[in-house]
Amino acid sequence: MPYVIGIDTGGTFTDAFAADQHNRLATAKTPSTPPNFADGFLDAIDGLAGDLGTDPNELLANTEYIVHGTTSTLNSLVTGDVARVGFLTTRGHADSIAIMNMEGRYAGLGSDEIQHMARTSKPPALVPCGRIAEIDERIDHKGAVIVPLDEDGVRESVRALLADDVEAIAVSLLWSFHSPAHEQRVRELIHEEAPGLYVALSSEVSPRIREYSRSVTTLMNTQVGPRLGAYLEPLQARLRERGFTGGLMVMQGSGGCVSAADAPGRAITTIGSVLTGGVVGCTRMAEALETGKVISTDMGGTTFLVGLVVDGKPVATTSTVLNQYAISTPTVDVHTIGAGGGAIAWLDTAGNLKVGPRSAGASPGPACYGDGGWEPTVTDADLVLGIINPDNFFGGRKKLRTQLAREAIDKVIATPLSMSVDDAAAAIYAIQNAQTADLVRKVVVNSGQDPREFTLYAYGGAGPMHCANYAADLGVNEVVVPLGATAAVFSAYGLAASDIILTAERSQPAPMPVDPAAVNAVYAELEAELDARLTKQGLRFSTVTYQREADIRYTMQMAEVSTPVPGGKLAAEHIGHIGRDFEDRYEAVYGKGTGFPDAGLQLITYRVRAVGTLPITPTLPDHARSTGDPIPSSEREVFLDVRVGRQRAQIYDYRALKAGHRVMGPAVVEAPTTTVALPPGTAGTVDRLGNLVIRYRTETEEH
Amino acid sequence: MPVIPVAGSERFAESGQPLQTSGPFGDVILHRVSEDITAGLDALTYEVIRHRLVAVTDDMGDAVKRMSGSVVVTDCNDFGTGIMDEAGETVQVGLYNMQLGSALDMAARWTLTNRSANPGIREGDQFLLNDPWVGGGLHQNDVTVLAPLFHDGQLFCWTAAVAHQVDLGGVSPGSWSVDGRDVFWESLPIPPVKIVEEGQLRADTEDMYLRRSRVPRLVGLDLRAKIGANNVAHDRLTALIDTYGPDTVKAVMKKMMNDAEARLKAKLRELPDGTWSSVAHQDGGRSGDREIHKIVVAMTKDGERLTFDFTGTDLQVEGIINCTYAGLRGGILPVMLTMLCPEMSWSPGGVFRCMDIISEPGTINNCTFPAGIGKASVNSAWATQNAVSETVAEMLITHPEFGRSAMSVCCGTWDLTLLSGVDQRGSGFATMICDPTAGGLGARVDNDGVDTGGAHCIPMGRTADVEINEFNFPMLYLWRREEVDSGGPGRWRGGVGASSCFIPHDSPVGEVHLVVSANGKAVPQAAGLSGAYPAATQWDVLVRDAGVREQFAAGKIPRSLEQLGGRTQVVPPHLETDLTPGDVYFTHWQGGGGIGDPLHREPERVAKDVGEGKVSAHAAHAVYGVVLADEGRADPEATETLRRQLSRRRVGLEPEQSPIDSGARR
Repeated sequence: MPYVIGIDTGGTFTDAFAADQHNRLATAKTPSTPPNFADGFLDAIDGLAGDLGTDPNELLANTEYIVHGTTSTLNSLVTGDVARVGFLTTRGHADSIAIMNMEGRYAGLGSDEIQHMARTSKPPALVPCGRIAEIDERIDHKGAVIVPLDEDGVRESVRALLADDVEAIAVSLLWSFHSPAHEQRVRELIHEEAPGLYVALSSEVSPRIREYSRSVTTLMNTQVGPRLGAYLEPLQARLRERGFTGGLMVMQGSGGCVSAADAPGRAITTIGSVLTGGVVGCTRMAEALETGKVISTDMGGTTFLVGLVVDGKPVATTSTVLNQYAISTPTVDVHTIGAGGGAIAWLDTAGNLKVGPRSAGASPGPACYGDGGWEPTVTDADLVLGIINPDNFFGGRKKLRTQLAREAIDKVIATPLSMSVDDAAAAIYAIQNAQTADLVRKVVVNSGQDPREFTLYAYGGAGPMHCANYAADLGVNEVVVPLGATAAVFSAYGLAASDIILTAERSQPAPMPVDPAAVNAVYAELEAELDARLTKQGLRFSTVTYQREADIRYTMQMAEVSTPVPGGKLAAEHIGHIGRDFEDRYEAVYGKGTGFPDAGLQLITYRVRAVGTLPITPTLPDHARSTGDPIPSSEREVFLDVRVGRQRAQIYDYRALKAGHRVMGPAVVEAPTTTVALPPGTAGTVDRLGNLVIRYRTETEEH
Repeated sequence: MPVIPVAGSERFAESGQPLQTSGPFGDVILHRVSEDITAGLDALTYEVIRHRLVAVTDDMGDAVKRMSGSVVVTDCNDFGTGIMDEAGETVQVGLYNMQLGSALDMAARWTLTNRSANPGIREGDQFLLNDPWVGGGLHQNDVTVLAPLFHDGQLFCWTAAVAHQVDLGGVSPGSWSVDGRDVFWESLPIPPVKIVEEGQLRADTEDMYLRRSRVPRLVGLDLRAKIGANNVAHDRLTALIDTYGPDTVKAVMKKMMNDAEARLKAKLRELPDGTWSSVAHQDGGRSGDREIHKIVVAMTKDGERLTFDFTGTDLQVEGIINCTYAGLRGGILPVMLTMLCPEMSWSPGGVFRCMDIISEPGTINNCTFPAGIGKASVNSAWATQNAVSETVAEMLITHPEFGRSAMSVCCGTWDLTLLSGVDQRGSGFATMICDPTAGGLGARVDNDGVDTGGAHCIPMGRTADVEINEFNFPMLYLWRREEVDSGGPGRWRGGVGASSCFIPHDSPVGEVHLVVSANGKAVPQAAGLSGAYPAATQWDVLVRDAGVREQFAAGKIPRSLEQLGGRTQVVPPHLETDLTPGDVYFTHWQGGGGIGDPLHREPERVAKDVGEGKVSAHAAHAVYGVVLADEGRADPEATETLRRQLSRRRVGLEPEQSPIDSGARR
């Protein structure tokens, strides 16, 4: 039977997941192989085949499609290994990408950094000024041509750029999202000079008002597009050589994938490729378990990532920040802080205890690794508190040294604060939990939701050690720790279970109520465009749906609220509904009475998302069931709750736990890839898929 | 003629000193906490709650920004948020316009003292004010909404949101009346009035407030943004109190201020004692005024205390550029926070305890009612900031570590361009063009100032995209660009400023009304440090009948003022006029000052600057003493010779007898 495969290539590990429709599945975790990530990709396929007891070529021959989360795009931008790009823009506006609306000096920085104003700077220029050319042409806010396109000027500039050995050209002209004719003609002129050259137009990459982020998005797309193509094309060829005839897909930041052939032209959409797999995994898992709203928390070594799933869909945003540049492309809204297991605990000059955002990373790592790290980290605190078993970290593959952790905490925190090492470790643990809870609350509240209506998922190596505490602070219903078959490769599972999602959008700002004929025309065009692109994916879909939305704001506001729009042909009453819907959403986010219809509404951007479901969905096998009580493997002194302190806790080996088992806190569950802390007052139940579901017991339930 | 005093107005002048009395305050009971609870706080609880309080001011800012309708707020971050304790001391300010975080305490204290008996202060009330003598904002456009939070019937603390409103009446659109002689030409200040009564927005008060504006809908939207921000804060604070208990939360507030005080004092002790002084100039106090007005400061650092002595500052003027005591503090606090407290919690209540201010009421930056203050925030408050920034930076750069937090004086003022009239959709509009938010920052001890990096008092400013301005307002840009030689030359160069050039476009009535108010045209304002030059002066030009449309029709976009036809008028500091569709307006704002002697700048850096259009070849030669060779590289030997000659010239020595000079200038 045909398989689907998810391959998630991170900086350190490549995670792989394969499943067919008959409960056969395989997982593999292999080292990534920078800079030739394709090698690690193929190693992971070998790993999957090994796990299934089959030959890699046979597995590939039986695979319908592979969904790939890749760091390629992000990596190119972060390391600066990008194509040599030329930039054409409207006369008088070349400096827009240098002025950066001024916000570029601080965009994406934490408040600690922003407060230190003299230490903030803008990032290096995206393109040196010698490779930027201004073109005489001008379109106004209505789309009227004020100055015709100077074609000779374009040719001259293009020749100069080609003489300067550019590999690709980005074009971003004022008001092109409204009236793309000049940009399209510029592309024709470029291709007359250099047939086949990679060209990106802002009116296609990001057809939205606000020239600064539109230009940045187009430029970055142009920088990474050729590189992504150069990675994917040989990879596809190598897969074909091994007998793969299915589709290779690339995950986008939007949480849906796109065919590898289509990806390079819109490379910027793959920027969040590796960040979203986990959120998609939560979405699928929540679907399987029929949980409603989900907060996805991923606590790895360096970062703590938060995303949301509402109404069965990841909560998305329309823009993001990279290297202090603003990028406009729809992405799953993943928030991050430097509060992973490697986050360093330190004292500020007034003796206040802080945790993060600096991380000890993988090297030297926490002090307890014994690899030269001398600063105490969250992992060191977890170890001192007894939550981590030093002999069972990473399934025993990494031996930890408690003494080194104690020494680091003593020297840096406990002695200066005149505390015991245990108390200092407890403080690190509590502060870490409080600040992650603050971030999660901010994310949930800013999206207009109430955390108490959510289930929280916690994964990543360090998440399950802390989740019961930070989740309690938020008041969520229950916490799910995905274990079972997907545990080690949760995001790869998410990839394998994803849909094809393509997005088309266009800014056409106008005061509400907009003429229904104009609205119908824009949506019809956007849906036709998506139709054509779906066909180009070369896949068969079991269903295709279109989801429309409109970004609306009160007149003059800077930020819009994305509001759903019904399908089909719209009449005046629908437009009225959309306006009222916007106002409801607005009040949901900002509070009753904050809306002010007197100011008038403006519709800024139209957007359609096409979702193509693929015929194969991996199903997860049921976990072995059991009745009766689970038997602890041992017990030890563990600190699990700041109000109780150290206490005797039962220790359970996850491998001995069956579906239906219930573990009462205080307890610790040790799984091969992580450790789950169950503070007093909690109970963990193993569900039918092998996940550990943590609930908070009320007094009456207390045994 | 001097400003005529108004009897009885002194009661609105808040002293800026902590609460001197323990009450009674009508029937209001203050929630107080004892010193030992504060002293007994454990590090863990303190850090958790402190983190939350900072997050609350941040959440308030998000709320204001998302809900507001004016570009000035949403794009320029010209607003502030804060939490004050029961006595009005500021515990924490949000990271927005720091000027606007500097007088919230004054507003809270005045309200507590003057409103608790009549009309009373009760749970669910919020107060609106825009009276800069009372506090809150710096000029009348800064409207504060102040909200007392009650717990168990006691006044627990205050929150406030303050934002610049686009228009609140007065003679000229935008409320910046360039002909103004006193406050009666301007939007009249509103002392604290109850805008929300026990949770209900009062319709009568709202109407009284909005009736004065030319754009009441926008101002009404912003009012709701501020009320909403206070509501967000109160929800969060109440949850915090419910979890940890009122005494613990209050103890954390007190400790935050104590900490800021202790840490700032510790830092001051490490710096050398001494006195540093500076003079800031402003040209023109209103339309037609050709005088230069000065602010003088001598800052003395003695042990763990700073004294800012403004003795010698000019008397208040008949015009619009004065500021009240709130403005004076607004000139000091941003510098203290960004340069002296970058690694601490921003708790102004603690910071103010480390300093004394000596200033005579009736002077230009401590004016008395009814002196004109319409432009206080960007005139005398900003000029105060320039002077204070220069003295603080000079002190800091004596220290190898703390010097890294110093900047030379940043963009010397705000280049106000205000447009009003009828927009392309046929509605009335008034707006400040916020492009000058992208001023140049001052140089640093180890790096150049950030080009188009902002303004000192707004760490997170922002300019709107050209397309957003063209969509909202009847205008069309010829360019927006960084400007050559606008950053102060130095061993480390000040950040460059920029210019915008636009025409009225698509208004159904054709003309657009223009108000310009911008000093720094006759005198540079962003001084350099340690032998560096100041940034260039401001430069605004109005070109009548420029023939732009004819050039458009011929397929060309003008690239410079020289390429325009018509009649060119260099704009004085204050001007109010109409732009007709054939006119062009050019506004060029300031960069930041440099640090160190430009003759010591690495020649290759100068060459790179010339290549990138930050420095002209002329300035490279004349100011930096750098001779450029072919392909834009510096010629090291010729540069050294030229620099030696320039050094000799400075001290009046004859040039050495070797031929240089000619030919190097290109």
